Amino acid sequence: MTRPSEFTKQTLAVLAVLCAHPSSWQHGYAIARDTGLKSGTLYPILVRLADRGLMEACWEDEQPAGRPRRHLYRLTPEGLASATAALADVTPMVRAQARAALSPRRRLSTQD
Amino acid sequence: MEPLTQGLMAVLWRLTALMAADRREWTEAVLAEAAELPAGWRRLSWLTGGIRLTMREAARARRPWYPAAFAAVATGIAWSAWSGPPGDPAIAINRVDVLAVVVILAGSAWIFRRTRGPVAVARWTRLVRTSGYTAVLALVLVKSAVERVAGAPPNNHAAGPAVAWTGEVVFLALMASYAAVILVYTAQRSPVLPGTLAIGTSTGLILGVVAYLLGPLGFPLRFTGPWSARLYDVALGLGVLLALCAPVAAGLAAARRTGGSLPAGSRFRQGAMAGLWSGTTAALVVAVLSTATIAILPYDSGLQYWATAHIGQWIPAVGEISPVLHPRLGYVAGNSAFAAGYLAVLLIGPLAGCAFGAGGARMRHPRGPRTTMTVPRIRPSRFGA
Repeated sequence: MTRPSEFTKQTLAVLAVLCAHPSSWQHGYAIARDTGLKSGTLYPILVRLADRGLMEACWEDEQPAGRPRRHLYRLTPEGLASATAALADVTPMVRAQARAALSPRRRLSTQD
Repeated sequence: MEPLTQGLMAVLWRLTALMAADRREWTEAVLAEAAELPAGWRRLSWLTGGIRLTMREAARARRPWYPAAFAAVATGIAWSAWSGPPGDPAIAINRVDVLAVVVILAGSAWIFRRTRGPVAVARWTRLVRTSGYTAVLALVLVKSAVERVAGAPPNNHAAGPAVAWTGEVVFLALMASYAAVILVYTAQRSPVLPGTLAIGTSTGLILGVVAYLLGPLGFPLRFTGPWSARLYDVALGLGVLLALCAPVAAGLAAARRTGGSLPAGSRFRQGAMAGLWSGTTAALVVAVLSTATIAILPYDSGLQYWATAHIGQWIPAVGEISPVLHPRLGYVAGNSAFAAGYLAVLLIGPLAGCAFGAGGARMRHPRGPRTTMTVPRIRPSRFGA
């Protein structure tokens, strides 16, 4: 019997996205598109990750032309360690589901 | 569709004002991203999610019923503790107790909200925090009820007022420490994992209730029948064994539960924190239940009869229990040895729990941190580091 992860499947999917490029800042809509999560599910997860110190958030430095400044997210070193361990530690089924959330077919279906 | 979207954006912007200042950036983030979504149902759905987020955060930031309930309970306890004959030193101690504990609990909540964040989102964690605060207030209530019994001297009366007030200072310092532990363990930015909190709580509750059942008035019971006496001795032995093993088991379970997801040092800390919490919970439970039983004792003839039959010549520090019980039952609680006993339980319980929990975490065979993982590949981010 495997130990239940401390993260939900949706959180694992978000962590997988953030973990894939840990040094890059990502924004909410891109994460939502990659995970297939809606904003009402995604943002509470981001809030919790930030509250636990696993993720850092900031605003874009400069005002881009034609759109508002984005709120950007990146895992902290502690978050990266937790995410790495959690993704490696979850059951194969959960990992497959987290991976399925990021499959190319799903990404294509959520492309604009 | 566009007017509806514009309307929702306006509503969301207005709702932002309901949130705590440090949380508004999240709603602003939803609004900023909404501009990038294709117009239509997708943007509408995005904004609806933003409204859900905002309402949830606003509800969390402004929960008037918790402060209101705390104020109501604190007023009730203050009213209860205030009554009594003027000049009675026990009443003076009660009044200081109530006022100081209310200030400590409210002040600690205010301080730790700024350092550790508000209470965690999970209902279970909220329940633990509310129960912990309730237990501290209940302890003050029953303690003051015991000391209010007519003729009961304050703690350490025989030793003089200086010792009695020293005892009160120790008690208040302990209550401040308990409040801090409760708040840190249940805060959003708590170093304690939810599983650790659950393990510590369940272990502590079991331990506290068993300890209370084995000695509801703080003393081992006396049974006259040979079988009942033997059975009680066995139960007492098992109880002592449980008191030693439960925090160790809690520490072991908490360390095991973290598995390989944390480094060895963190697993050890989770084990120690599970032990600390189980000791804290058990000490609080046994202190509240036992003191409440003693508070009822003077008014319940059935309980008096039972106590007289089952409490015997056991604790030399307290001396003869029977004469203590006979004229003024309140003296049982007023006795300095008794009060010091519960202060010792409240002090030693968490410390011993922490030590045993750390020992339990050490018992777990360390597993090296996992370094390999499979991360799903996704497209490169649009933002550089």
